[in-house]
Amino acid sequence: MPMPWESVLPNLLAGDAPHAAELPMDNDAFAGFYSRSARPLWAYLARVSGDPALADDLMQESYVRFLCAAHPALIALEGEVAARRYLFRIATNLMRDHWRRPHSTSIEELPEEFFAASASSEQADSQAVLGPALAQMRPLDRQLLWLAHAEGYSHREIAEVTGLASASIRLLLFRARRKIAKLLQNQSQPQMLVDKRDETSRSESARALSQRSQS
Amino acid sequence: MTLRSCIHEKEVAGLLARGQYPQACTPELRTHVSSCHSCADLVLVTRAFQTARANTAPTGNLPSPGLLWWRAQLRRRNAAVERIGKPILGAQIFALAVGLVFAIGFAATQAKHGLRWLTWFDGISLDGISFDGLSRPSQLPQASALHLDALHPAALLSSSGGLLVLIPVLATVVLLGGVAVYFASEKSNENEPR
Repeated sequence: MPMPWESVLPNLLAGDAPHAAELPMDNDAFAGFYSRSARPLWAYLARVSGDPALADDLMQESYVRFLCAAHPALIALEGEVAARRYLFRIATNLMRDHWRRPHSTSIEELPEEFFAASASSEQADSQAVLGPALAQMRPLDRQLLWLAHAEGYSHREIAEVTGLASASIRLLLFRARRKIAKLLQNQSQPQMLVDKRDETSRSESARALSQRSQS
Repeated sequence: MTLRSCIHEKEVAGLLARGQYPQACTPELRTHVSSCHSCADLVLVTRAFQTARANTAPTGNLPSPGLLWWRAQLRRRNAAVERIGKPILGAQIFALAVGLVFAIGFAATQAKHGLRWLTWFDGISLDGISFDGLSRPSQLPQASALHLDALHPAALLSSSGGLLVLIPVLATVVLLGGVAVYFASEKSNENEPR
């Protein structure tokens, strides 16, 4: 029996519509879930997309869509792990949609952080190590690698997040891991050579100093 | 490319996921990792990604959860209002379309019969009514008195070609059509997956 609209509209306008009340979590529960999941999600989006500003936008949109679309039963039955997976799935789809859309980025649109120096040396190190290697990977490979190795998801969970078949995940991940491992090794070899050169030059100068002091 | 995975890979992956590699690793496993290409790749890649995750996660500027909660509620409410407004709009469009069809049909029929119903107005003119301040009884020789017979339905029917029957029928069809469309679209909206 359809609900007469006259009876729904006043409730809607008053703010307690039946659909609006069906948000999957209450405000406090969402705040807790958000504090546990927001940073990993942001890291995933920022590293896979390579754009922190885009990661900000996509993360906000992911949470809003999650709250609008997730069914309360999903969280009640399967708990936070399933909710988190669902959130990553929304974010993955949003990122895919963004890549599909034809667009051009002008220099004015780039965020300031893009040009700014990194905040800490650790960050810079990890960015320097993984950044160039990730940049050479396909977007799908980046997603798979991050979900498997940074988030620790199983093949079945990655299949749920990406919408691919579980069997193909295994092969794709195997190839992607082999490729990025090669890239990381190639990067670390010249770095090791530089480090070794620095070390020898340091020891030579120390030796020269000690000889000078002795004479 | 052949897909060959090492039998120790699961064990190494478990240790890496728990953050226990290489501390909780047996010497045999450590020796194996240094000699196995697949396990070495796994360790290298997982460590790089775990470090990147640990360093990247704290750098994001996160909005407050309350703001996102409010935005979600607003969007959900707007979607609900839109869902309710859609069948009403459909009913209105349908009613308008039916009304227009009938009006055009009626106009076409009347045009074919030379607008006979206009003569009906001549029959209900009052005696001595002034037009623009001028009494023109001479110009209205046949309308010198109110003919009550002219208001009788039978007379109207005969003079206007069923005008008085047509209008209520038309109004009822439009109204019922609109209501039917409203309920039909309401039902289809209910069946739609959210």
